[in-house]
Amino acid sequence: MGTRAMQEATFLILTALAGSSQHGYGIITDIEQISDRRVRLRAGTLYTALERLRTDGLIAVDREEIVDSRLRRYYRLTPTGAERLAAEAARLQANAVVAMSRLDPVGAR
Amino acid sequence: MSDDPDLERRFRRLLACYPAAFRREHEQEILSVLMAGAEEGRRWPRLAEVADLLRSATSMRLRTRLRTSWAWEYRHRRVTVPVRVISGIWLVALTVILYGYGLGGWWGVLLVPAAAAHFYVAYRSLRHRAQS
Repeated sequence: MGTRAMQEATFLILTALAGSSQHGYGIITDIEQISDRRVRLRAGTLYTALERLRTDGLIAVDREEIVDSRLRRYYRLTPTGAERLAAEAARLQANAVVAMSRLDPVGAR
Repeated sequence: MSDDPDLERRFRRLLACYPAAFRREHEQEILSVLMAGAEEGRRWPRLAEVADLLRSATSMRLRTRLRTSWAWEYRHRRVTVPVRVISGIWLVALTVILYGYGLGGWWGVLLVPAAAAHFYVAYRSLRHRAQS
């Protein structure tokens, strides 16, 4: 493990947590913004991913709050998670750079 | 954001599909996410939400079951690895003997994956020891 490409949902969740710790619904709305309204995670998908990321040690529970008698659990990125996200971002960027540079001459013609 | 008690009850019923351990830990939390995502006045979960929760609950149950099976396999590897290797070899030998005597048939294809599965589980158990 570690070399396999990351799923987009996973990538976006880690990105959402990279700025600051967030609770479930906060992650969903943040991802909606990051992805320019293209991705809106559903609750089940989000928690399947969060559970897996927590087991793998990429995220951890930060704190809990009760707002309007509803439980909010905040998650944060762990150092391992930050490392994985940085590696994945670099990989995606490298791929994108190659793609752009190869497409560019076509566009210029 | 919705506060409808009927909607909450229906969401809760769907969340009952999740493994008990997960529910103890996360039910309140997911419920707040679901209610926060529901617009005012909605009384029923959307079909897409139902499908998403059922899919996620199923995958979580499978994952839990797989993890406990592997844990069992790792814990007892002193016994399971030799048993699996011998079973695998025996199945391969059986296949060779049967086909050698012209007794093979379509069902022969079932023996090969069975042997492969034994070898794979033994291999993973050994690798697990090497890592830990």
